[in-house]
Amino acid sequence: MASDIPTLAINDLTVAYREKPVLWDIDLEVMPGALMGIIGPNGAGKSTLIKAILGLVKPASGEVRIFGKPYREQRQLVGYVPQRSSVDWDFPTSALDVVMMGMYGKLGWVRRPGKAERERALECLDQVGMTAFAERQISQLSGGQQQRVFLARALAQDAQLYLMDEPFVGVDATTEQAILGLLRRLQGQGKTVLVVHHDLETVSSAFDQVAILNVQLIASGTTAETLTPENLRKAYGARMLTRLELPTG
Amino acid sequence: MELGQLLHQMVFDYTLRTIMLGCGLLGLANGALGALALLRRQSLIGDSLSHAALPGVCVAFLLAGESKDPLVLLIGAGASAWLGSLLASAITQNTRIKDDAAQGIILATFFGTGYVLLSLIQGRAGAGQAGLDKFLFGSAASLIERDVQTIAALSALALGLMVLFYKEFKLLTFDPEFLASMGFPRRRLDALLTTLIVIVVVVGLQIVGVILMVAMLIAPAAAARQWTNRLGAMIGISMAIGAFSGVAGALASALEANTPTGPAVVIALTLAMLLSFIFGAERGLLWTWIRSRRSRRRALAQGADRAFAAGD
Amino acid sequence: MDAGLTIILLCSLVAASGALLGTFLVLRRMAMLSDAISHSIVFGIAAGFLMFRSLDTLPMLIAASATGLLTVLLTETVLRTRLVKEDAAIGIVFPALFSLGVILITRYAADIHIDVDAALVGEVIWAPFDTIFIGAFEVSRALVTMAVITLINLAFVGLFYKELKLATFDAALAASLGLMPALIHYALMGLLSVTAVSAFDAVGAILFVGFVIVPPAAAYLLTERLWTMIAVGIGIGVIGSLSGYFVALALDASISGCMVMMLGALFLLALLFSPSRGLLAAYLRRRRQKWEFAAQLLTMHLLTHEGHPDEAVEACTSSLPGHLNWGAAFTEKIIHRAQSRGWIDRVGEQLRLTDSGRVQARSLRKA
Repeated sequence: MASDIPTLAINDLTVAYREKPVLWDIDLEVMPGALMGIIGPNGAGKSTLIKAILGLVKPASGEVRIFGKPYREQRQLVGYVPQRSSVDWDFPTSALDVVMMGMYGKLGWVRRPGKAERERALECLDQVGMTAFAERQISQLSGGQQQRVFLARALAQDAQLYLMDEPFVGVDATTEQAILGLLRRLQGQGKTVLVVHHDLETVSSAFDQVAILNVQLIASGTTAETLTPENLRKAYGARMLTRLELPTG
Repeated sequence: MELGQLLHQMVFDYTLRTIMLGCGLLGLANGALGALALLRRQSLIGDSLSHAALPGVCVAFLLAGESKDPLVLLIGAGASAWLGSLLASAITQNTRIKDDAAQGIILATFFGTGYVLLSLIQGRAGAGQAGLDKFLFGSAASLIERDVQTIAALSALALGLMVLFYKEFKLLTFDPEFLASMGFPRRRLDALLTTLIVIVVVVGLQIVGVILMVAMLIAPAAAARQWTNRLGAMIGISMAIGAFSGVAGALASALEANTPTGPAVVIALTLAMLLSFIFGAERGLLWTWIRSRRSRRRALAQGADRAFAAGD
Repeated sequence: MDAGLTIILLCSLVAASGALLGTFLVLRRMAMLSDAISHSIVFGIAAGFLMFRSLDTLPMLIAASATGLLTVLLTETVLRTRLVKEDAAIGIVFPALFSLGVILITRYAADIHIDVDAALVGEVIWAPFDTIFIGAFEVSRALVTMAVITLINLAFVGLFYKELKLATFDAALAASLGLMPALIHYALMGLLSVTAVSAFDAVGAILFVGFVIVPPAAAYLLTERLWTMIAVGIGIGVIGSLSGYFVALALDASISGCMVMMLGALFLLALLFSPSRGLLAAYLRRRRQKWEFAAQLLTMHLLTHEGHPDEAVEACTSSLPGHLNWGAAFTEKIIHRAQSRGWIDRVGEQLRLTDSGRVQARSLRKA
């Protein structure tokens, strides 16, 4: 894959819910190997941006290209980690089984996961340090462990671009370290990772690029250049920021 | 009655065998689809679908020249149940009316309209002559072999499709957005699953009736859920409980005078559910209680040890 | 009293007392509890008959209402085990009680001759002939009962309007103010049970749900305030009962069935044509907003790229459809709209924001 084609190119993307704009005219390019945090206040449209990239919501205008082609031709190259709270963890299934769901797309219609998929799923669980919990019912896992299962499922998608929605929410310190390590490893393998993130204090240590969003794209680029008090004030408003400790870029 | 005699009857008595087969098959099919309905938090869909089927039965009867062919009536029932569920989701998606009220509206107005049609038909043909009222209360006793064949064929169709798309339905139930992100058509799969539920519900109508259909659909699944933490096993157990309760209810109503089949089946299901809630191997209340007592005792013992060590 | 008038009055009272309570059920997302309660009552009637060996109004009322409350309590108990979710808890409790009731009746009370159809849809046609004397007036017993129930419901809603309102919209706040939302909840459920029992002979278990849920749901689409929702709900219920009676007369069909059918028709009218929340109004509004929104979007787009090196491409009419992923015809329409609004100027193929267009786009940006 030629490295001058961006992994992700978003052009003039506007998404509206019942004619109320959730995202206004977003332009964003992400190059291969980027590890980018998406930050912004509540209701800034961070999750919507991810869902628009995945074709889960229909944009009012604009388009999304993955390695130069529309998403529906490039699905196999994209991995998705939804918010942990978006599913019912009481569902009767095991951690291993959830990870195998990541391979349903490649399996296609009707075909069931077999031995090869099982092996692969175990490898993915191993990468997030969850091998010991493979057969555990998912409701019996801690929040952090559930999050790691979701990450393993995305790994099983074997993608080039990973989209993660708030993977750090409500996780323990071990899991946080495990996720950070995983993000670095993925980056090392040349994969591109976009992470919706809410904790301003950890942005600069976790990501080398950042996009600041509040319905519009306020700024994007390297963390050092982008995460300025000026930009944050634009996104969060002045009052909110006085209570936050601004990271020194 | 002696056991031997009973077994003899079960095999050789035409009526009893037909009823047992019908109820058993019905429990099997409902147990399977009910597991998914339960996990999708759509338990009450069985209630609204079964009520919404009534006008379709009447319209099909009239359109097909007063036909009593079970397949014709079932197609009518299915079409109108489907329309009901479509309307219910149109209401919830486009207005601020929530799902529970939408189900209630569809249930009552479709049933009301169906009952008006039924009263018109019966007024014309002489009460009960049309035999459509078995869709109200169900009537296992009137099952004939042709009915059982229809039940078998439709149940097999629903179960077959469920097995075929098992993987897709599983993910549709657990994480529909993830399913859609991988390119599976979420809406179409949703519609297919609803169709399968409609099929087993309308098939069950003529045996247990509109009111008890909801229990037929979800009670086996609610019981099965307590025994296992795996979807496949849950569906299997649910089918077994459904079939067993169906047969048990049919037997009870055949052997005891004045015991209608539908309520007998539901009582059997309720007992199965009670037992499962208490003794279910994975989540049963008894085991949970014992576990929590044990861990409390351990905590108490540890607390005492610590107090002792501290010299209190 | 005239039989027809009695029936109309009786069913209007069922609708009114139903709407008084149903409004809160719809708002509290508990609509299906009315379904559960009205069905479980069959068990209460059977058990009450076996216990008291009579079909008198008062013992029946007490036994059946107790069953209604029992249904609510059982559902909540099942829910508290956390073994199943709420929808399932409702769906397993009432069929069990209903089945038990049916079996009790068929086995031990064959002599009470409950018509099976009547349990589902009632038999309002007999109501005018079971009469009692109040002073010199001979009136239908059911009508008197229903009138009393309606007054009780009216008094409850009137007296506890504030408490009901707060318990419905913010139970936590209600609790912190000492308004005891749980007590309000059980009072509501108790009254619903009493109402269902009183209406049982007239409209039966299934159609009762229609009288309780459909009018408030229709009113919910037509009004914005709680008390108007109640009033409109009652109005719709009465109109449905009245028109349903005459439809039934004309067709020679089930009276209660026709009434619920008419309630359904009224709901459908509200659903389609409510000026504020109807599907038609929503469709028209959305279509209008779609154009307006797209024109605004265009000004935003131009502002974003204004003064940037890519402006020549981004603001060019021939490349716009590709960039915004719009159809060519749609783009052309939107450009016209924005022009007629005075937001943009067109110079050859280039679009440029006017001053007022820039103000417009900036105001959007701040919003």
